[in-house]
Amino acid sequence: MTSDLAIAHLLLGLTVFAYVGGALAALSVRGAAGRALTAIGAVAGSLATLALGLWSLGAGVTPTLALPVLPFSGLALRVDGLSAFFLVVVGVAGVAVGAYGFGYSAHYEGRYSLRLLGVTLNLLLLSLAIQVTADNALTFLMTWEMMSVAAYVLVLTEHDQGGTVRAANWYLGVTHAGFAALVAAFLLLSAGDPTTSFEAMRAASLSPGARDAVFALALLGFSAKAGIVPLHVWLPMAHPVAPSHVSALMSGVVIKMGVYGLLRVTLDLLGGGPAWWGGVVLGAGAISALLGVLYALMEHDLKRLLAYHSVENVGIIFIGIGAGLMSQSYGLPGLALLGFVAALYHTLNHACFKGLLFLGAGSVLQATHTRNMEELGGLIKRMPRTALFFLVGSAAISALPPLNGFASEWLVFQALLGGAAIPRPEVALVMPIAVAMLALTSGLAVACFVKAFGITFLALPRSTAAENAREAPPSMQVGMLMLAILCIALGLGASLVVPALGGALAGLGGLPAVPIGFSLEMPLRVSGTVGEMSPVLVAAGLLLLGGITWIALRLLADRRLRVGETWGCGRFGQTPRMEYTATAFAEPLRRVFAEVYRPTQDLSIDFHPASRYFVESIEYRSAIHPWFEQALYTPVLRLLRGAAHRVRRLQAGSLHLYLTYMTIVLVVLLIVARWPR
Amino acid sequence: MRAGTNALLFAKILKLGLATEPLGPGDEGLLHLARSVEERTLRLLGRAVAIREVDAGSCNGCEIEITGLTSPVYDAARFGIHFVASPRHADLLLVTGPVTRNMEIPLRKTYEATPDPKLVVAVGDCARTCGVFQSSYAIVGSVDAVVPVDVFVAGCPPEPADILRGILAALDRLPKR
Repeated sequence: MTSDLAIAHLLLGLTVFAYVGGALAALSVRGAAGRALTAIGAVAGSLATLALGLWSLGAGVTPTLALPVLPFSGLALRVDGLSAFFLVVVGVAGVAVGAYGFGYSAHYEGRYSLRLLGVTLNLLLLSLAIQVTADNALTFLMTWEMMSVAAYVLVLTEHDQGGTVRAANWYLGVTHAGFAALVAAFLLLSAGDPTTSFEAMRAASLSPGARDAVFALALLGFSAKAGIVPLHVWLPMAHPVAPSHVSALMSGVVIKMGVYGLLRVTLDLLGGGPAWWGGVVLGAGAISALLGVLYALMEHDLKRLLAYHSVENVGIIFIGIGAGLMSQSYGLPGLALLGFVAALYHTLNHACFKGLLFLGAGSVLQATHTRNMEELGGLIKRMPRTALFFLVGSAAISALPPLNGFASEWLVFQALLGGAAIPRPEVALVMPIAVAMLALTSGLAVACFVKAFGITFLALPRSTAAENAREAPPSMQVGMLMLAILCIALGLGASLVVPALGGALAGLGGLPAVPIGFSLEMPLRVSGTVGEMSPVLVAAGLLLLGGITWIALRLLADRRLRVGETWGCGRFGQTPRMEYTATAFAEPLRRVFAEVYRPTQDLSIDFHPASRYFVESIEYRSAIHPWFEQALYTPVLRLLRGAAHRVRRLQAGSLHLYLTYMTIVLVVLLIVARWPR
Repeated sequence: MRAGTNALLFAKILKLGLATEPLGPGDEGLLHLARSVEERTLRLLGRAVAIREVDAGSCNGCEIEITGLTSPVYDAARFGIHFVASPRHADLLLVTGPVTRNMEIPLRKTYEATPDPKLVVAVGDCARTCGVFQSSYAIVGSVDAVVPVDVFVAGCPPEPADILRGILAALDRLPKR
């Protein structure tokens, strides 16, 4: 036991030491050496985080490991299964992002503050690692705020670019609204004392009304961080303007803190609740998933597209959590565990493939200086490795077997289909609708990534910037390679991952432990559900099919091969203007879902003054404004602005007035202090 | 709206009745001809023959006759004659008119884009001799000056039956499977 504690302390100490060292190096050393030291700090710290997470999961020290640090500060840390899992997520993303950041931040040299970038990146990673091991409200809320502010500063890196400041402000606003809700939730949970340990909160018995209030506040606060519709507004603004490795970290890990928090509060601290909790989470998840992918389809800014996909994938994770909470409330712990495992699995997978995709988009951005897909194209010939990595990420996020996205989405489906075992009319209504929405989401995601990959990497380059693109430097390739390998490994090894995740969740909210089984074909089988699937056999089948096709082509096909140019209706030359555009690719779906998008179109034609038969120029503009966001946020913003105007009157600029204020405050404080209790 | 359009369509179909006409007297030979095209394409290709029509600069007289092939009277589709929208899908190119300067490169590209083995049937007198357009500044020359031609169909314009005969003659030049 003591040796366990010693190992955990050592790893945690290494984590803190490496991150702080990286931050200090960023402050003190300039140039390439500074970037290298920053990256080494981030990578080493993340490796230590990863080691701590894996070791805790493997050693099964859950939930006994409390880490007393800094005795009088009120901070308390503790590693249990859930923490360990999220430590792994932080570590995996941190290693890749740290390595990638070395190459990526090279082009910031002399333009933006590398010191600030290096310091905040390491601090963000540190706060994430501490966040998930927090064992009381104070530690949790402090690291939460540290994480939010670090991310805010990171978003502001390219501060002189248009839209950056606005995006960062939106992020800060939404995340602080969420933070207020979280403070309220934790004050309710801890009965006013922020240093109450989580252990005491678990034991405390709250009235049903208070529990519902805590749940509602926690859902609000964590949804704001996770980017659940309609609190997702900051994601598509902040992700594109942030440096790409920061986007990867924010999308892969920071928004997952919302998932962590929701699980920690609802499942662990509150121990589950009535069925409508699950229903609300499930509904919010399903709506987020569908709306996220629908808006992603219409997006032609590569990084905004990925940001909307984060909304979608967090939605899928919430569907898993919602299904788990519902099953738990109906007394089906096995099925509940399946839902939560699916959510955690998708969390890890999303961190891998979305991290990979953002890093890939960053390589494209660095090589071409544009995020607009309509100006890209033909990059597969110029950046073959980046293209390959992006393809792996696209296939994974599209849930194509045998990659990791398929395995976790399959589990989410299983968790929903297993709901058929609950003999309640409302469940019988909700589950099939959720299944249908998830299925539609998956299908649209495939369409979206056919567009994202095809328009960006295939055919002819649509601009000189794309024409002159060059492959990313090795450090960036290494970051992407790691995540690409993980995307494949997590897919093939699904039947090893799932029991480990089950082990991580065992004991939380009365969930059962699952036995860890192993067999050659590694079937993914969960009791009480309708199906089973073996990722390894699926992969073998696909390989076999590919092999047979190849052999058949070699043996049977006519081998007289003629290489000609693409058929372009006999025109003299092929130009990029003849290519399919991203807008055109998405047009059919825009028509199908016109009711959702409500696009505005603007066609202006300039005719020749002599005759309307001669057109001089045609301009077509089409835009999609998320109408529900406007409907929702305009009144809130108006209210805020009005309040700010009124408050501003207090600040009149008169010194006498300020002195009066101070006197009044002093008198009030004295009265409050002396008030008889 | 779509349902309304469908109702209109069905009402029209009901009112119109059968649109196909019987062939005129003495046209049994044509039917025989079409049947032999069908028999030969089945034997040679195992399916319908896919035809891409290229207007290299014709006066459109030949096009009217080619359209006649797919009309209710001849209805060539039933004999396995099938017009396609891309040379990538075609077995046979049906080229009309003298080749104009603007169509020289597209015609050559179309020929190159057609998969082997391929056939070219040049339809109409212009395709062979440039007809009344001979020695015009806008003309490159006859079709065989640009791409190899398997069969010429004479006539200004040739009748659908002549075009069928041309297609049949061209099919004979396909290599045995």
